[in-house]
Amino acid sequence: MLLEISDMRVHYGKIEALKGISLEVDEGEIVTLIGANGAGKTTTLKTISGLRPVSSGSIRFQGKNITKVPGHKRVLLGIGQSPEGRGVFPGMTVHENLLMGAYARKGDLSKDLEEVYGLFPRLAERKTQFGGTMSGGEQQMVAIGRALMTKPRVLLLDEPSMGLAPLLVAQIFDIIREINRRGTTVLLVEQNASQALQLAHRAYVLETGQVLKSAPAADLLNDPEVRAAYLGGDLGQPEEETSETG
Amino acid sequence: MLNDFIDQFGPSTVGGLAAGAIYALIALGYTMVYGVLRLINFAHSEIFMIGTFSGLAVIMTLGVSEPQSGIALIGLLLLLSVVAMVGSGAAAVALEQIAYRPLRKKGSSRLAALISAIGASIFLQELFAIVVIPHLYDHPRGRDNIGTQQLLDKEPLFTLGNTDVRPDHLIVIVASIAMMIALDFFVNRSRIGRGIRATAQNPETAVLMGINIDRIVRITFFVGGCMAGIAGLLYLLQFEETRYNIGFVLGIKAFTAAVLGGIGNLRGALLGGLALGLIENWGAIFFGSAWKDVIAFTVLVVILMFRPTGILGESLQVARA
Repeated sequence: MLLEISDMRVHYGKIEALKGISLEVDEGEIVTLIGANGAGKTTTLKTISGLRPVSSGSIRFQGKNITKVPGHKRVLLGIGQSPEGRGVFPGMTVHENLLMGAYARKGDLSKDLEEVYGLFPRLAERKTQFGGTMSGGEQQMVAIGRALMTKPRVLLLDEPSMGLAPLLVAQIFDIIREINRRGTTVLLVEQNASQALQLAHRAYVLETGQVLKSAPAADLLNDPEVRAAYLGGDLGQPEEETSETG
Repeated sequence: MLNDFIDQFGPSTVGGLAAGAIYALIALGYTMVYGVLRLINFAHSEIFMIGTFSGLAVIMTLGVSEPQSGIALIGLLLLLSVVAMVGSGAAAVALEQIAYRPLRKKGSSRLAALISAIGASIFLQELFAIVVIPHLYDHPRGRDNIGTQQLLDKEPLFTLGNTDVRPDHLIVIVASIAMMIALDFFVNRSRIGRGIRATAQNPETAVLMGINIDRIVRITFFVGGCMAGIAGLLYLLQFEETRYNIGFVLGIKAFTAAVLGGIGNLRGALLGGLALGLIENWGAIFFGSAWKDVIAFTVLVVILMFRPTGILGESLQVARA
């Protein structure tokens, strides 16, 4: 198992945001976490990257317990993330943003840069543009490209479709499929449940900080309960995200 | 009145630039720490004070007893620079470790850190007045001004019109600008500089890039401290005295300069410092030098009414996307 989370609890002050989450991601998979706002999806990703401390439970990566490893060291182990809200550095150019992804490692970057620019030709055209002046879709590409520059074993993607037009969402999802095909494991958090389920191999449904269900993605697409709760009317509708971090 | 202004314009400009250069160097420390932590480090004025005392310690230890020149002067200034930078830099790192980091780790509010900053400022002043100055500097009255030996000849180097330019003024202005250029280069070109900018622009994403935020914060305090150390040394060179609360007024002026130029913005600190120095010295020609501080803060208020983000605005972090 590449990533193994067991009974993970996370608190914000006295409020328990994650109430014992267990999930697994195997090498080569696309796994998606779906659920409503405040279900704990973003908190789960942040905690895996070490941005939030764990109250109890454990995170194992490649068999090693990393629960206490500081966030900046998890990047070098192979956990890359494109965060909620994209987190593009506004005062840096596209190229500088991508280079930040390789901040912690040494060696020749030209091949990796070439690969990212190959995946996102749009970014190659805009290398010298400042991150803060780009459109939402372009910023999303920067965020994913930058996460790829960390050379991740597992790529954590937090709501890559947020606020994007349907055509762009389809394009981003195609690129995620391509990234996975090239060998990177993906853990995808989405509100856009139907498209996420079509892309992923397996899925977890989160509700108020707990895992409600886990199954192969195709099964959940046909699950009446999931259909009613999450696939109702959200197809292609970009939703307003409010931060669940408070 | 206008004749006065014309007569005194040259000397006031040189004096204003020399004062402004020191404000600017101190302002860098406020602005860098604010950029990275969104914290006003009010104890930064004491880091400047420690810079003056580090220089003083070297002068006393070496027993310098007359103005130096030539190679001896250059060597002395280099030694003083290194000691002042290390002294202030180390003090700034210790300050962060003791007064700010524990609060940050507990996730306390910025208001708590601000109170801690004010506490640290008072603590350091009193530490020097009561312990350090009487015992280490052999000066029983810890709250008096402490004079130092004149380090270099202050006969005018050359005269522009009616303006005498003294070597100490020239050193202060040139050294400050050189330090600023070096710092600008460090922040914009070096790898650590990229880490500082990334942390200032988005600390959480910076962690996702593998940046050790604690290390970046420590470096930021150290570098800001070094700049304050040089400022302290240049002050000592120019005015040949210091005291336990020397940082108080200069610190407030430097903070004003940082806000004037746009807090968080390195070039803004330079611009704000020089502008403040010039404005208060030019204004003093009309109103008398007793009005300097009134002029400086009036200008601050007026500028902030029309440009709340300062002359250049924030740039280390830029508006968040």
